[in-house]
Amino acid sequence: MAVTVPRIYEGTRIPSPIPTVLEVPEELRRSADLLEVNFGPNHPSTHGVLRLVVQLDGERVVGLRAVIGYLHTGFEKSMEQKTWWKAIPYAPRMDYLAFQANELAFVMAVEKLLGIEVPPKAVWMRTLLCELNRIHSHLVWLGTSALELGAMSPFWYTFRERDRILDLFELVTGARMHTRYFQVGGLADDIPRGFFPQCREFCEVMPKAVDDYEAMLDQNPIWLARTRGVGLLSADDAIALGQSGPVLRASGVDWDLRKVEPYLAYGDVAFDVPVKENGDVWDRYKVHMDEMRESVRIVEQTLEGMPPGAWIADDRKVVLPPRGELHTSMESLIHHFKLVTEGFRVPEGEVYVAVESARGELGCYICSDGGPRPWRIRFRAPSFVALQATATCMGKALVADMIAVVGSLDTVLGEVDR
Amino acid sequence: MAVNGKRLRDYGLKSERVLWPGKGPGVFETEVAALEERLMLTTLDRAVAWAQTRSMWPDTFGLACCAIEMMSIVSSRYDIARFGMEAFRASPRQADLLIISGRVVHKMAEPLRQIYDQMLEPKWVIAMGACASSGGMFNNYTTLQGVDKIVPVDIHVPGCPPRPEALMEGIVRLHEKIQAGVPPAYEIRGVAE
Amino acid sequence: MFETIPGVVETIEANGETTLVVDPAQLVEACLHLRDALGFNFLSDLSSVDYLGWAEEPVAGYWGDSGGRDLNAPGTAALARLPKPKPKRFAVNYHLLRVGPVAREARRVRVQIWLDDGEAAPSVVAVWPTADWHEREAWDMMGIRFDGHPNLVRILMADDWAGHPLRKDYPIGGEPVRFSDAK
Repeated sequence: MAVTVPRIYEGTRIPSPIPTVLEVPEELRRSADLLEVNFGPNHPSTHGVLRLVVQLDGERVVGLRAVIGYLHTGFEKSMEQKTWWKAIPYAPRMDYLAFQANELAFVMAVEKLLGIEVPPKAVWMRTLLCELNRIHSHLVWLGTSALELGAMSPFWYTFRERDRILDLFELVTGARMHTRYFQVGGLADDIPRGFFPQCREFCEVMPKAVDDYEAMLDQNPIWLARTRGVGLLSADDAIALGQSGPVLRASGVDWDLRKVEPYLAYGDVAFDVPVKENGDVWDRYKVHMDEMRESVRIVEQTLEGMPPGAWIADDRKVVLPPRGELHTSMESLIHHFKLVTEGFRVPEGEVYVAVESARGELGCYICSDGGPRPWRIRFRAPSFVALQATATCMGKALVADMIAVVGSLDTVLGEVDR
Repeated sequence: MAVNGKRLRDYGLKSERVLWPGKGPGVFETEVAALEERLMLTTLDRAVAWAQTRSMWPDTFGLACCAIEMMSIVSSRYDIARFGMEAFRASPRQADLLIISGRVVHKMAEPLRQIYDQMLEPKWVIAMGACASSGGMFNNYTTLQGVDKIVPVDIHVPGCPPRPEALMEGIVRLHEKIQAGVPPAYEIRGVAE
Repeated sequence: MFETIPGVVETIEANGETTLVVDPAQLVEACLHLRDALGFNFLSDLSSVDYLGWAEEPVAGYWGDSGGRDLNAPGTAALARLPKPKPKRFAVNYHLLRVGPVAREARRVRVQIWLDDGEAAPSVVAVWPTADWHEREAWDMMGIRFDGHPNLVRILMADDWAGHPLRKDYPIGGEPVRFSDAK
């Protein structure tokens, strides 16, 4: 769909003067009996420690303000204290649902500055794992969002498939979550035996599972009433508010970084990008479901097309030498020593790399001074931007719709607060 | 840890639990059983402890990544419902157990303490994960280096994030402690320095 | 294409990315031109960087040296060199994107402004509303004020927090670690 550049915001529903705060209108402030309610940081339905301060006129939300920062862990400053290699484990803990996307963004940014070439096997394996991670993130999203709207059954089914994905991660990387498998230059280790058959089995099970979830929800009148026409966000508003990922695609903008700026092996696999038109909660739900199916397609193709070869680049100035060589080669010993104690140095410069995480455009901006430690790392978290759209999506909705809207924006507070 | 002034070791609890199937009941289990005798718990005390452990309802206090692993013990594979604990209460007034899963930052410390204070006694706290136990990998200006600085903690579960089985182990050990007669943490210790 | 933008002081091409250094006083004009005339309708990211302490310690050049990665070029090995000095203390980078049918090479651009400590930048909330929280975060973390922002209050730290944590002169904090002399 062609996108028009928003010139004059006529017909925009973005509140003003503050775009992210729904202000109570003047006449209501004086006349009506308003109730100020705090949806505190500890709330079962706010997807983490999000605090919403709302003013209610009966059941209608007339004022909304989001307060964040209850999970601000100081990632960016902590990563500046470590070497480039030791900073990698910090990255997945920000968006803790699509953890490998964070690692990927950071590692790709460092590789871009270093200018090293990642071998094809590592590229394809990264693609496979990122897509599995996308399915994982959407499964947890579906389970928890449906639970918040009262649909308890999908939670058990989605977590059953989610455990299968985590079994796959554990098989390859040794850890269920926060795998830290992506290294600068490739992968941390080779792909173990037994992964491909188990992954193929998963690919056979998954499409049927997605059909099961839709069978549980699509015809349910309560689900339809709570999601259709709720939380509308137009395409122009979505772009002005910096939305990306499923939220942008549900609003009608055909924009997916995997298609428009192909990275990893996305240029070599065939998949479609689901785009809907209305921009309500129903459309965002449908985009998530279709994305799960497309991700299974990508995983199948990467399984078929996985090239053989090395799993990490050969550049000994950046990558640890294989341990067997340490006994025989003096240079390997020195490289190993320097890399572990001091770390590799990344040339001076700044770079911004964006990947399509399950939530949208996850960007990593790094600035290096040529030394072994980062000078500045900044993550552009899609959920941070997505939360800004809450006020616009709400309009004059009811309290119950607020839960549906916040859930459909698919925010993870770890990356909002960093 | 002291109960009535004496350490559990003095009552005869000496071994760690060994998780070898087919080897039990292990030394630990027999010692715990003997301990219940030695602490001279009345039948009523034992009955109350039995009831408390069989339906301890956690509070929904998921903060970060550990919350996702906490959600997966509710799911059918790890199934916390077999312990009677699948009823996660949103209101702290109705909850017995606070599983602090995730990193606690200074801004969140006040709500955490408020939630803890609102819980009715007896109440237990599990610090799940490295961040809740000690601040984890985040030793910086904004992260609380261990929630035991503000709430008394019964069980610390290590891991980043701990596997669901590890959290289950923590919960089962908590049950065993309660059945052995160990009082909740707020009676035997305060908060850490 | 970028010649028509008002206020551009310098254009840098590095690592496959284009950076436009813009005079802060003309930032809003430049951004409006970029949005309306050139079609950069999406503000991807707003990063602020603190360069306090930059180029004070030389970086030895042996491993992927700061001058480049060609270790075989004569005179590069093992020589300590300083990274290139920066004009002022703070830089604010605006990563812009054109959402729409555009060729890949012309899709992204970075607009960069340089500020001293205490100097304020003009706010671009009127140009791209998504800048609201990004600018609040830059204020909270780096202490850079944005003139014209409707709601410039702390967002990540508590409201009564003192100091701006991401500045280089703000300590990392936390507890001292035993048996380790790391910072």
